[in-house]
Amino acid sequence: MRQGFRQSMAWLHTWSGLVVGWVLFAIFVTGTASYYRTEISRWMRPELTAATADPARSADMAAAYLKRQMPDAAGWYVELPRPETPLIEVHWWKSLEGPFHNALLDPATGAPSTARATKGGDFLYRFHFELGMPPTVGRWIVGLCALVLLVSLMSGIVTHRRIFADFFTFRRGARTTQRRWLDAHNVVGVLALPFHLMIVYTGLVTLAPMLMPWGLVAAYRAEAPRFYVEAGLMADMRAPAGRPGTLAPLGPMVAQAIARQGEAPEAFAVYNPGDAAATAVATFEEPHGLAHQHPQITFDGETGAILGTAGMAPTRAASTTSTVMVGIHEAHFAGSALRLLFVLCGVMGAATVGTGLVLWGVARAPKGAEPAGLGLRLVRILNLGTIAGLPLGIAAFFLANRLLPPDLPARADWEIRIFFGAWALAALAGALRPQDRAWREGLGLAALAYLAVPLVGLATVGRSPVPAFDIAMVAVALLFGCAAYKAGRSPLGARAARPAQDLSGEEALRA
Amino acid sequence: MNPVVLGLNLALCFSGLAALALSLDRHHRDAFLRRVPPGRARSLRAAGWAGIGLSLAAAIALEGWNFGPVQWIGALTGGALLVVAFLSYRPGWLRPAALAALPLALLALPLALKG
Repeated sequence: MRQGFRQSMAWLHTWSGLVVGWVLFAIFVTGTASYYRTEISRWMRPELTAATADPARSADMAAAYLKRQMPDAAGWYVELPRPETPLIEVHWWKSLEGPFHNALLDPATGAPSTARATKGGDFLYRFHFELGMPPTVGRWIVGLCALVLLVSLMSGIVTHRRIFADFFTFRRGARTTQRRWLDAHNVVGVLALPFHLMIVYTGLVTLAPMLMPWGLVAAYRAEAPRFYVEAGLMADMRAPAGRPGTLAPLGPMVAQAIARQGEAPEAFAVYNPGDAAATAVATFEEPHGLAHQHPQITFDGETGAILGTAGMAPTRAASTTSTVMVGIHEAHFAGSALRLLFVLCGVMGAATVGTGLVLWGVARAPKGAEPAGLGLRLVRILNLGTIAGLPLGIAAFFLANRLLPPDLPARADWEIRIFFGAWALAALAGALRPQDRAWREGLGLAALAYLAVPLVGLATVGRSPVPAFDIAMVAVALLFGCAAYKAGRSPLGARAARPAQDLSGEEALRA
Repeated sequence: MNPVVLGLNLALCFSGLAALALSLDRHHRDAFLRRVPPGRARSLRAAGWAGIGLSLAAAIALEGWNFGPVQWIGALTGGALLVVAFLSYRPGWLRPAALAALPLALLALPLALKG
């Protein structure tokens, strides 16, 4: 096993990238879509009409609804209506272990909303870090995959020996298929490298308390929330008094919060609403800045008097570092133009993973008429099933939103079942077709599905609630159409013009 | 957060990166069908770094120390992708495009300062 540092890093890069590549691709795609989470949710609820709702009145209506649902809850959480989401979203729970219930209320009447039931952009957002699994399991898998991605990025930088000389190099006309894919992999990887490093590192920071809980556990034992209170990030909650109390109306508290902060809170929570020591917390939108830090005002639930504030004064260096990292990851600060660049970088991240996966297969394509081995066949099937299958699933999710009857029971769940079903079906169909044709068909089908989204929308609900969403769908369809055309012209795999060689040998073939 | 400032950053990054790309033999050959003369390589490199530096300076001056660097890094990625696209599909257009981006940046400056 005596070999150079660079070779061992190349080995590490190749294999670390392969084992988590398929999950990473899904994380990149859904994460990129999450930059437009609000817009996606808005598009998926076409019944909503833009209306300005009074936040104080909305809070009172929410409290009335929640009192009927669960007066003795451990917590109520009310997301107040905003111009882009004219809805009151309420959450309530009896224990932090779950289950968590939620409902959407119409801000005009306070009754449950008649808009079609959907998880909207929140589904893609949660999939980004939970993969549609139980939260803890999903987050651990995503956290470990992100860790491996960091390893893969670092070893990839070491492996790429001509990072500056080849900075702009993409030889479309290179003689070998492998060279073309390696160039593509390098270009999308290197040009957006600052983004890739930033997004994986800050992503790990968002999961850090779960991945590395020891410091927190050692210092605070079971009282983890105290850490966030002392770090100035979370409002101080009172322990329940253990005797019943009467909750004051929320409306005046919201009005007080508006008077104090000069803007309406985005959310209003009540902890132990049925207890004499109920605490209410108004949470505001992050102020303009990089940090992900929400100002909060706490109220005595019984008297409605202000108890204190959090997240307002500048925090200490360590807290600020962490909130800025989370803030940069989420990019809430980015205006529409900068957000577009973040999306471009996210797409390049997905492309880096995708080209890397394809490259693994291309580099190992058998020479001549030799049949492909089991490992290679499996990788090819998973590649196609992920790179064409997942986007197809997302398109099916959007189509289901428009085509499922609005009053179908468990409608929101059906949309998600169709997402997974379409993905699985696409992957299965791809596995049964010959490799070259499967790529063209899979990518072509994805293109058609995305093209169908705005058309089906037009046919079912008429004018789109978010025209930019439809434009984006057409753009994605064009992207996949282009890819299908390319896949049809220069098939992958066995038709490589030159016998495949390992990466370091390949460098010698440079023209 | 001003789209005009982002446009200014993109234009400067694109021009700078295009100059850097053309200072390399391989890409100079793509665009002009001959090796890059040593003196020209030096001046292209100087111009390239100047463009990138100016973009950073503009980003920080107009968007502050918080957002400036974030926006500049985004603009570098976007600009570089554009350079690669030109080199792969229309290498001969890279120089005119890079030169055309400069007056655009100059035009964007008063708008950016006003916004």
